[in-house]
Amino acid sequence: MIGFLLRRILAAALVVCGVVVLVFALIHLTPGDPVEVMLGESATPADQAALRHALGLDRPLPVQLAEYFDGLAHLRLGDSLYSHQPITAILAQRIPATAELAGAAALVAVLLAFPLGVLAAVRRDTAWDYGSMGFALLGVSIPNFWMGPMLILCFSVWLGWFPVSGREGLASLVLPAVTLGTAMAAILSRMVRSTLLEVLGEDYIRTARAKGLSEGRVILHHGLRNALLPVTTLLGLQLGTLLGGAVITEMVFSWPGVGQLLIDAIHRRDYPVVQACVLLISVTYVVVNMLTDLVYAWVDPRVRLAGRDG
Amino acid sequence: MGRVLRGLAWAALLCLGGCGAAPRAAAPGPGAPIRFALAQAPITLDPRYATDAASSRIDRLLYRALVRYDAAARPVPELAHWKEISPTRWRFRLGARGRRFQNGAWLTSADVKATYESILDPATGSPLRDTLVRVAGIRRILVPDPNTVVFVLARPNVLFPGYLTVGILPARLLADGHRFDLDPVGSGPFAFVAWPDQNRLILRRRRDGQRFEFLTVRDPTVRVLKLLRGEVDLLQNDLPPELVRYLAHRHGIRVLREPGTNVTYLGFNLRDPVTGRLDVRRAIAHAIDRRAIIRELLGGATRPANSILPPGHWAGDPDLHGYPYDPALARRLLRAAGFGPGHPARITYKTSSNPLSVRLATVIQYELGQVGIDVHIQSYDWGTFYGDIKAGRFQMYGLSWVGIESPDIFRYVFYSKSVPPVGANRGHFDSPVADRLIDAAEASQDLAVKARAYRRLQAYLLQQLPYLPLWFEGQVVAMRRDIRGYRLAPDGNYDALIDTVRVSPRAAAER
Repeated sequence: MIGFLLRRILAAALVVCGVVVLVFALIHLTPGDPVEVMLGESATPADQAALRHALGLDRPLPVQLAEYFDGLAHLRLGDSLYSHQPITAILAQRIPATAELAGAAALVAVLLAFPLGVLAAVRRDTAWDYGSMGFALLGVSIPNFWMGPMLILCFSVWLGWFPVSGREGLASLVLPAVTLGTAMAAILSRMVRSTLLEVLGEDYIRTARAKGLSEGRVILHHGLRNALLPVTTLLGLQLGTLLGGAVITEMVFSWPGVGQLLIDAIHRRDYPVVQACVLLISVTYVVVNMLTDLVYAWVDPRVRLAGRDG
Repeated sequence: MGRVLRGLAWAALLCLGGCGAAPRAAAPGPGAPIRFALAQAPITLDPRYATDAASSRIDRLLYRALVRYDAAARPVPELAHWKEISPTRWRFRLGARGRRFQNGAWLTSADVKATYESILDPATGSPLRDTLVRVAGIRRILVPDPNTVVFVLARPNVLFPGYLTVGILPARLLADGHRFDLDPVGSGPFAFVAWPDQNRLILRRRRDGQRFEFLTVRDPTVRVLKLLRGEVDLLQNDLPPELVRYLAHRHGIRVLREPGTNVTYLGFNLRDPVTGRLDVRRAIAHAIDRRAIIRELLGGATRPANSILPPGHWAGDPDLHGYPYDPALARRLLRAAGFGPGHPARITYKTSSNPLSVRLATVIQYELGQVGIDVHIQSYDWGTFYGDIKAGRFQMYGLSWVGIESPDIFRYVFYSKSVPPVGANRGHFDSPVADRLIDAAEASQDLAVKARAYRRLQAYLLQQLPYLPLWFEGQVVAMRRDIRGYRLAPDGNYDALIDTVRVSPRAAAER
């Protein structure tokens, strides 16, 4: 297990380094000059040159990249071109909001997906199945930019149960979490259904039933547990997406998270912030995927032993 | 199995319902915070760096400047009265009003000098430096006594006081490297309380302690829903016309509209073989039914424009006659330019991805199509779009000028040498006549003569159409009935919050 862990960490570190280089290169290839953004288009060439020098933007790209890596090693991501605040401080303010929303959305997704998926699998080809999968289809099909305002209209304006938007207390978390979690629930429930159906056809399920176990016990202990593996992978991938910033949902609900920060930074061409956000999202994906792999390996010994066999 | 499913269902319901029992927003009483919804968050609270509209408008509440503009864009005293003691020396005497900083210190001429010198210092990286050095021509700042500041200029400039609209910062804090962007200290009518996150800024009115919260809500529909539910009290501009019409008929909401000064225009690339032809530009001007677009799409107080300066500006021209809607004439002009049914003019129209801009582009595409101009719309995110425009990668584009106060804009936009990166002559308009008129207007040190020269220039520009001015955007504010005293400013500033109060529900119902 330790060997597997080390291999995964090494691979993750390499991926992160690759992402840093790629993001750095892409940002510098993008049209637009941050100095012009900061000083305005009418600034004199002398002023632009002075600021470019002060920011170190007149140095060769490999030197800038090396300095960026050095900054990363010391957790320094530079300052925002607009607000002039350290980006680490800006991210520290935004990450908790995104993590809170992602966690709540994942909870909503799991709480909806498992009952629906199990129900659809157990009551296959019945109204329960069609109803559950119909919900899943709707969840995937309805875009968040429409579902968000509809939920607001219904539960905030008409019923007055939740605030319309903002991040003020637990109540304000409900609607964005449901908006974000529903789409994820839809995908997960379909996966739960299909994997559970597959597992329920296995010999050991027939054996469990033959032993006289209750249907609930057969499904939960023997069926669902074995069906969890692919669902765990999917959940990890989805969680990575959520942690990376649910851009649309954050915009609709004025949720002060990383997604909103990224969009604002792109609009303003605040390159260091864009770079830091993309990097954060990439690292989040890598880490979440690595953790998923580890959980997978822990749950299923065949995974961690596969490298040895190969 | 049924038990398991029931358990999971209850867990879901408890999770969603238990934490969400928020009561319906209760009607706040007098003294409760007044909440103002913004479409864009202010980026910085340091006036030396503020270039976006939201930051500039909030900074006006927190800081006082030497000078501000009146409705006709004439500079008027805010902190100081001034006198031109020689063509290159301007003396500003600080008055008694508005000189107490939020931290209790008294504002003196040393603070004025320190603020402007900080902006002029290249190390500060202020985007305002260029204007103060190159356009205003500041060379030195003298402080003969605590109440007097003398600006020494590199050359005479009768418009000079109009450049001194930057909020004044305390010299001692400037010397200490204080972070005004995070903890603003000014002498304005409002004091900073907190900025807990980018979407929520809290200020306190110094006169009476009334709190104001500025909440950033980017989605216009959500902004409207927040107003309806009473989570915000006011919202201003950045609303699709249909939402304004919807709000105007809602109980408990008041909608006010006023003419504005932000001008929307079409810009042309004059080096392009199609849009470079005057007949084609005139055909476009005649083919667009601006009154119909304003009536059906924009509504409110939007009014047609014939120049980038509004008619109420001291250098504006209310007697300019624009291009009436005349599709037949547009077709004739196109034929004269060599275009017709077999050989239509093809134009690419670049616009931002703002939904209203795209909708307007679609209407203009249709109207130009009616006279035989084949328009292809390209819509980009703001950064890409603006980058293309600055780089001259366009045939025709739609954009707005926001907050034009000084007629210096004409040199910046239309002078032949003002092509980017020196200025914003993005369409490469190269006219010796316009250059001469701009030089003449700037050379005059008499405001009346200057105004006449600028009017001649505007008439010429309307004839030549390097830009086609479309309309001055109307201002609109929607507020809850218990909010009183708020008025719309032509440039959209929030200065009227100084007089804005919340009245009791009974008083709100009575009026």
